[in-house]
Amino acid sequence: MSYIVEMKDIYKSFGDIEVLKGFNLKLREKEKVVIIGPSGSGKSTVLRCINRLEPIQRGSIIFAGDEITTKTDLCMLRTHIGMVFQRFNLFPHKTVLENIIEAPTIVKKMPLDTAKDIAIQILDRVGLADKQSSYPKELSGGQQQRVAIARALAMSPKIMLFDEPTSALDPELVGEVLLVMKDLAMEGMTMVVVTHEMDFAREVADRVIFMDQGIIVEEGTPHEFFANPACERTKMFLKRIKH
Amino acid sequence: MNLDYSIVIAKFPILLEGCWVTLQISFFSLLLGMIFGIAGALCRISSNSILNSLAFLYVWIIRGTPVMVQLFILYFGLPQLGIKLSSMTAGILGLAINTGAYITEIIRAGIQAVDKGQMEAAVSLGMNYRQAMVRIIGPQAAKICIPPLVNQFIMTLKNSSIASLVTIVELLRTGEQLIYTTFRSFEVYTTIAVLYLIMNSFFMVVADKLEKRMARQ
Repeated sequence: MSYIVEMKDIYKSFGDIEVLKGFNLKLREKEKVVIIGPSGSGKSTVLRCINRLEPIQRGSIIFAGDEITTKTDLCMLRTHIGMVFQRFNLFPHKTVLENIIEAPTIVKKMPLDTAKDIAIQILDRVGLADKQSSYPKELSGGQQQRVAIARALAMSPKIMLFDEPTSALDPELVGEVLLVMKDLAMEGMTMVVVTHEMDFAREVADRVIFMDQGIIVEEGTPHEFFANPACERTKMFLKRIKH
Repeated sequence: MNLDYSIVIAKFPILLEGCWVTLQISFFSLLLGMIFGIAGALCRISSNSILNSLAFLYVWIIRGTPVMVQLFILYFGLPQLGIKLSSMTAGILGLAINTGAYITEIIRAGIQAVDKGQMEAAVSLGMNYRQAMVRIIGPQAAKICIPPLVNQFIMTLKNSSIASLVTIVELLRTGEQLIYTTFRSFEVYTTIAVLYLIMNSFFMVVADKLEKRMARQ
């Protein structure tokens, strides 16, 4: 069985604070993994290590068969890994369309017309075809996050990483973003999602991972994970977030 | 009170020539200063510790010493070491080095004020550092830098009057020469003040327009 991402025994610290302490994760193609856990448990750091936004102190990361732990030219690698951030991070000085065609034209050197065609198709998919000439600040948070997803998709990534994509949104805007993510999951995208949306985890995930203090405490299919958590810590966490 | 502006009016073309020299000094020292400033800022944010220290040293020395002393070292001091600069070269270079240090700090602060997520988003899409700086961080930093840069441009234009002390016949010195022959200090100095004000107002209007245009985004 081949994996698209393999993280082995990852150690990562920020100064004196050890965030990941021997973290392991193997991800199959088309698999949808949801990572949950208390703040500071290292969930976001896991995502940021996969595309090497964060350097690690120990361990190894393999992406699509390539050892990338100490790779120095990361541009090519990152074109295969789409990342969606909690705070969207759209480019405020560019229109929606410009945000989406930026990387395809600059990084992949795609002809402008082709990039625009693709961008418009993807915008249509996320339901924002009419917003292509708006600037990010003219959009709602939910719309901005959908544009951010579209921007990542325009690079045709092999995997999408979502770092708490709905945590910065007003409650009534969460649904539209989750809907886009569900569609993406249905189409067979490989996804790793850090989120607090338990319904999304239940519905979409092949596997739910509960992290605490830099390691995986428990993992399983959504059914076994939510119905029958084995660990005391998982039970406590699940109980707390229900209220 | 006997104010007589007719002398000033009669000699107005000479004062305009002084303005022209002032504008030239200002233009070239700002152009050069911007280059120093951008280079300095890139060094200041670079992870290369040698470049970083050099830029730090540059800003520290220039900000901590009077611009007049800096000009005097260039024009009166360097010949002793065998380096003879013309007054115009010394004046422009001195003002450029001086303003470049302040511009370094303005641009550094501007770049660092851009949200960190912007760089992360750019590199996550596969852009390299240079592409991200030029296309994503730069334009946003530029917008942040405009108001303090305008201040600095205005300061530099006014500081160009110090170049009169290294014998450049710019606006202030032109005026002083006029006073030697006419003894009309009040009329000449007030006229000069108005001329500086007009030149600086031009900066302010352009900057205002630029800021409004960029505010849309």
